[in-house]
Amino acid sequence: MVKLVGIAGSIGEQSYNRMLLEFIRDHFKKTVDIEILDINDIPVFNEDEDHDDNPAVHALARKISGANGVILATPEHNHTVPAAMKNVIEWLSNNVHPLDGKAVWIVGASYHTQGSSRAQLHLKQILESPGVNAFVMPGNEFLLSNAKEAFDADGNLKDSGTVGFLESVMKKFLTFMRVIEMLDAPDPKNSHEEDMESKHPVNTTVPDVDMTDPEWVEKAAEKTHAASGGDYVKLDRGLLTVDQLNYFLNSMAGELTFADDNNQFIYYNKKTDAAHMLAPRTPDQAGDPLSAVHPARVVEHVKQVLYALRTGESDVVSMPAQTGPNQHVMHYYRAMRDENRRYRGVNELVIDIMPILKYYLAATGQKLVKDPDAVPMSPITGLDAVTSASKHSDPTKADATSGASASKSVEEKPAADATSGASASKSVEEKPATDTTSGASESTEAVKPAAAEEPIDADALTGASEETSSETGYTSDDDSTPAKKPAAAPKPESESADTDATSGASES
Amino acid sequence: MKKFVALVGTNTVKSTNRKLLQYMKKRYADEAEIDVVELKGLPIFKKTKEAFVPQQARDMADKIDASDGVIIGTPEYDHSIPALLSSALAWLSYGIHPLMDKPVMIVGTSYGTLGASRAQAQLRQILDSPELKATVLPSSEFLLGHSLQAFDDKGDLKSATEAQKLDGLFDDFLDFVDLTDQLDHSKKLHEQQAATFSWDNGTTGDDK
Repeated sequence: MVKLVGIAGSIGEQSYNRMLLEFIRDHFKKTVDIEILDINDIPVFNEDEDHDDNPAVHALARKISGANGVILATPEHNHTVPAAMKNVIEWLSNNVHPLDGKAVWIVGASYHTQGSSRAQLHLKQILESPGVNAFVMPGNEFLLSNAKEAFDADGNLKDSGTVGFLESVMKKFLTFMRVIEMLDAPDPKNSHEEDMESKHPVNTTVPDVDMTDPEWVEKAAEKTHAASGGDYVKLDRGLLTVDQLNYFLNSMAGELTFADDNNQFIYYNKKTDAAHMLAPRTPDQAGDPLSAVHPARVVEHVKQVLYALRTGESDVVSMPAQTGPNQHVMHYYRAMRDENRRYRGVNELVIDIMPILKYYLAATGQKLVKDPDAVPMSPITGLDAVTSASKHSDPTKADATSGASASKSVEEKPAADATSGASASKSVEEKPATDTTSGASESTEAVKPAAAEEPIDADALTGASEETSSETGYTSDDDSTPAKKPAAAPKPESESADTDATSGASES
Repeated sequence: MKKFVALVGTNTVKSTNRKLLQYMKKRYADEAEIDVVELKGLPIFKKTKEAFVPQQARDMADKIDASDGVIIGTPEYDHSIPALLSSALAWLSYGIHPLMDKPVMIVGTSYGTLGASRAQAQLRQILDSPELKATVLPSSEFLLGHSLQAFDDKGDLKSATEAQKLDGLFDDFLDFVDLTDQLDHSKKLHEQQAATFSWDNGTTGDDK
């Protein structure tokens, strides 16, 4: 749910502006989560002092940073904003700048017939100053005059017209907020402009921590007062402690990596040490810009993947990695998008699909055969427009638009080379022979076209998973190939982490 | 000789507004007695049932009452006057009204080029509010930009042009103070409004 914070500008014992905020909070609680922040304990601003000395200021800044938007409710004192409100803004525009780039909606209640018109104008001016740099919603002034008579005994606004107006403005503010949040989204014009140095901070980027610092995780966590251990995290959909979240992610069937929309590598599920990983990562790499975890020669390939995901050209890009005879390691890059459909990074899954394939064949009593009619296809899916560029033939042709026409015949693929994971996996089921590029299919033998058996296969799969849990299936496969994994690992490791992402491409 | 109260609009030790007011105190020592008053220590304005006003603000009000006029030196924080100054003005209009019809001269310094121009404009609006109703010297902006470099070791203004401009404005202010004394037609009304003014019902004539 959208999270807002509200601040009432006066710190008096009775405040109609706080009442107004409380009404807004309660009235919209089904659509927006509004937390009203207390500013009573904020000391008088003094530019000689550092905000770090003051926990109240710090807490306030943190809450604002974590919110999608801010509602400021201001009365009018002496034709201007109350000193208490201005004082808070001064703290928040000195050493920390949590309002920078934040969407703000100003409302105001006053005893007078004039509402708080002058105060709202001053507040707008203040919020738009360079040190504050907030985005104040234009127009839509909400001035509640004669505040004393406006509320009933339960704190509800009496006038239904006023409530209706408030609802219409809230609706606009939610849209305004979405627009504002898109403003800092990196917007490369082509794959070359993908910023692998991560120099375009987004609203989740932790400022002032060196990305390449081996202790980036610890330092960024301290800076953000990150939840840890037994702290609960509310998720879509469920509630876990940070510990539970780690148990969960570290027991995933595959290796997961999170690179954000600023192309910063910020997470991987550290299941085991690098030597035992399919795509080795080391703890000190977390926080690195993507350029630091890829050798220069693959950077252009990585940029193409990122660009295809960011622009929505593809939702998933998949490619095989160099593997041993009993492995078929796949990398799946999925675009992550927020509720506004804004690209928020790439979710990389590295998984050996051989155990799954073997299990499937065993459970359905089949074996693999070469398909004499197989049409050669690129082992990479989801990058139709740019696969040709992987040859480094001409950097200018790597543009998404020209890349398509530049496709070489070697890379020709059937229409089944779809951009969605669903159709990609379907094509594998239907035509096992398309696996010719991998050692796996060469080492196994053929039986019959799976396409004819499709309905039965599906039943068989379902039946199997009903009888034995899917975990057992995985485990037995893992057990059958324990020696291979470490043996295969050193290869990608010598190239440094993540290179395997694109090695499939250069192989072909 | 005229007596003026000069309010330092900020609490920072490195305030160049304080420097400017101290310079004025020294330079115009023959024409006026200027008492440079600090706002540091004043709490942020807050309404209470008892309408409590802190002692520091009361002392300030007494000084202003006893003076012929007030000089306010303001920096610009976020395109506006510091909260501390805003707070002081709120205390000085909360049940007490020392600035009512009092001649006020605004000066401002800034580190940058603009010299607190927006803050001064807002300050004029604030001083014109019904609770304050000060009489501000018109057409008299004194904006000292690049204030960190503006003073020499003795605390004097380096630029002769700036010094001359300030001299002219101060002479105007002296005349303005005499003039204001004669502007007594609306004084009674202001006093009446101030006496009945209450932020709890906003009954100030122009609001209701």
